[in-house]
Amino acid sequence: MPVRPHRRAVRACPLRRTTTSRGAAHRPGFRARGPGTAGALDERIEMYGRPTPQRPGPKLPTANLRSPHRRRLRAAALGTALATILVPALSACGGDTAAASGNATLKWTSSYFPTHWDPVVGGSGAQFRELALVYASLTRTDESGKAVPDLAKSWEYNAKGDQITFHLRPGLKFSDGEPVDAAAVKAAIERAKTQKNSALFGDLTSIKSVTANGLDAVVQLSQVDYQIPQLLGERVLQITSPKAAKSPEKLDQNPVGAGPFVVTQIVPGTKAVLKKNPDYWDAENIHIDNVELTSAPDASTVVSGLQTGVYNFADIRPSQADAAKKAGLDVFVQPGFNASNISLNINKAPFDNDKVVDAVRHAINRQEFVDKLTFGYGEVTDQPFPKGYVAYDPASENAYAYDPAKSKQLLTEAGYKSGAIKLNLVIPAEDPQAEIVQSQLAKVGITVTIKIDKNWSTPFFAKDLTFSLYGTTGRDSAVQTLTAHFGPNGPLNLSSPYEPAGFEAAVAKVRQTPLDSPDYTTVLQAATRAGLRSKALVFTYSQPNLIAKSKSISGLPKNPAHIDWTGVTIGGS
Amino acid sequence: MVRRVLALPSARIAVAVLAVIAVLAALGPLLAPQDPLATSDNTLAAASGAHWLGTDYLGRDVLSRLLDGSRVSVLGSLEVALTALLVGVVPGILSVYLGRAFEWITLRLADTLVALPFLLFAVAVVALLGNGITQAMLVTGVLVSPLFYRVSRAATLAVARSQYVEAAIVSGASLGWVVRRHVWAKVLPPIAVALAQTVGVGFVIVSSLTFLGIGVQPPDPTWGGLLASDLGYLSHRPWAPLTPALLIVVTVWACNLLADAVRDVSGEAGRALLNNRRARANRLDKADPAPAGGA
Repeated sequence: MPVRPHRRAVRACPLRRTTTSRGAAHRPGFRARGPGTAGALDERIEMYGRPTPQRPGPKLPTANLRSPHRRRLRAAALGTALATILVPALSACGGDTAAASGNATLKWTSSYFPTHWDPVVGGSGAQFRELALVYASLTRTDESGKAVPDLAKSWEYNAKGDQITFHLRPGLKFSDGEPVDAAAVKAAIERAKTQKNSALFGDLTSIKSVTANGLDAVVQLSQVDYQIPQLLGERVLQITSPKAAKSPEKLDQNPVGAGPFVVTQIVPGTKAVLKKNPDYWDAENIHIDNVELTSAPDASTVVSGLQTGVYNFADIRPSQADAAKKAGLDVFVQPGFNASNISLNINKAPFDNDKVVDAVRHAINRQEFVDKLTFGYGEVTDQPFPKGYVAYDPASENAYAYDPAKSKQLLTEAGYKSGAIKLNLVIPAEDPQAEIVQSQLAKVGITVTIKIDKNWSTPFFAKDLTFSLYGTTGRDSAVQTLTAHFGPNGPLNLSSPYEPAGFEAAVAKVRQTPLDSPDYTTVLQAATRAGLRSKALVFTYSQPNLIAKSKSISGLPKNPAHIDWTGVTIGGS
Repeated sequence: MVRRVLALPSARIAVAVLAVIAVLAALGPLLAPQDPLATSDNTLAAASGAHWLGTDYLGRDVLSRLLDGSRVSVLGSLEVALTALLVGVVPGILSVYLGRAFEWITLRLADTLVALPFLLFAVAVVALLGNGITQAMLVTGVLVSPLFYRVSRAATLAVARSQYVEAAIVSGASLGWVVRRHVWAKVLPPIAVALAQTVGVGFVIVSSLTFLGIGVQPPDPTWGGLLASDLGYLSHRPWAPLTPALLIVVTVWACNLLADAVRDVSGEAGRALLNNRRARANRLDKADPAPAGGA
């Protein structure tokens, strides 16, 4: 299908341009920390898949669409009030252009606009969804979360399970003209393993080496690991052009991949303009011609932006869902693996006492989080997986039910009188979650003081904190999710190097079990059960991936934790 | 001075409003009908008999939170004004008397402070010294102090070069005596104007910072913080931001009104104004016949 040569008339609309730059000018000024502060600290953060310095969110992004950016959003709110006033004028402009060009344009505004366009550096779960506009991976997932072919048309393991060969699709090119071949895969994996600021090397420990053989990438493993196809998807190996990747700093500003879209313009931190990539392997199923990805202004203005046509696709806060529905927008929850947690450090008092840990477990009323923070769109969870997912262990469900009386009794047994335990709950930004934890623990006699620390990530990842909040947006490989939470060095394990007894063996067993083996489910759920014995994490609720879109955009594929544009059409195109 | 200010009705309104705010600041936490931190299942409720201003996103009583939050706002703005007063006025007066070196240095320092954007600076300092309203306000106070420096310096200059002061010095008056006897009385009114205005500015600054979540540790309520959180739930409680916004606006307005009143009655012009008013009032009391010329 030929791509019509067209220029979006954004530039032709002077009003819109003015407002955009005005918004951009406002935001950085209010940032407590600019993007330039990356230092030794951030290397560490990024290594663990933390977003980026100026987004000091407590969780990997979507799990926290609301709080982490609140300060910045509020600042933006002050600045963008003007933009809101101009909205009617803007939409008039936008309407004209759409009518004139007749192209299908996705106007996506996001509260987690990519801070890095180099997939090796980013490390944030939610931002990978946007990077996937530009980059394709070896594999993708289907609606059940299982790996299916993407750039690789097929793959097979050797008999022993310590070597896997990916067969790439023939004749593919990156947008800079470089061929998509095994050499590019090898280069991408090696870069992810060795680049200094890589956020991914911790996930690639199973990979020993890669041999490039034309279109066949042969991956030698250091241990038997049947999770590799699950692993080398959107989250861990978005493949970059090896030529562009020779200069990672440039790539970070100007992404070059083999994905469904090609970037034509990037305003860092604010806006990206993309057009359809005619050379994408599945281009015939991409029905969107242009994408304008923008960084969302204040949450409360997103809905009016959608209503007036400034955007036609946006993630929204649950508090805005009602307004979005009233505005006649499609509001839906994209399935995902989000799970928020309370992180305890059992190497520090008072959590070195198991009874105190159990007291906290029984003091948490998960339903309150769902009711007050997700307006009913979320779900309670006591596992890092959603109910019904293959790794979800039904046997562990509700192992620690809400029981404040029991909690109090455990504290008494542990020798603490009511009010004797005083804890600092350290979080990076204002978050109603913290206030709920505070009030729930107050009911059992634990006094919590909320401390907002802008540099939260440093002590958190150095595992110096005693008590904090975090969360995950999930990973396509269940094993990766498990080790990230419960493994001795997992980024979500505040009690490193602690790991629950039997977890290591259980995980090794999962790795050695092929995904199509009849035992896989049993083995995987056993590993989840072993992990959930961890005293370091109390899971609370699953923040919904709540999205509002214009009715002119057709439904999205329900691939969990992904936003996949395959087959999606926009109004009449 | 106080009596002269209160002679103006606008000043009486301003003082009345500020008195109410002061009572809120002093007794707000006691006046709060409910625990401002107690959450309930009744979230984002509309105004009702049980919750006069409804409840917030965690089901806390908004009225109680507003009352409880007034102390932080008032203390914060007073802190800004008093810090600025102290840091600005003393070197401002002294810059006239302590020689050229001192004058030059303080002038350049004041210029430097003027050049710094105080809101951003407050944000940076909070990141450095820890998240507290006291630190933020102290720094903001220093950053707005050039206002006081300039005002007090200008007033002092006018007095210091006047003949009667020269005469006093020739007669052997000490510097301290001159400042106490002559300078102080002339400098005080403009400083009072600046102070009243700065208290108003302080309110805006405190509210902005707390709106941005700077300087408050949740769940402590503040006016700005309430305003910010209400904005997130506009579709559920569209009128909610009005109350905190109104409180902030009225307080700032009262401060500015007071500043205007103080300016109006101070100096020669002020005396003339008051005399005129008094004269007119006398005339009205005597119920003069309508002027013959006709209207």
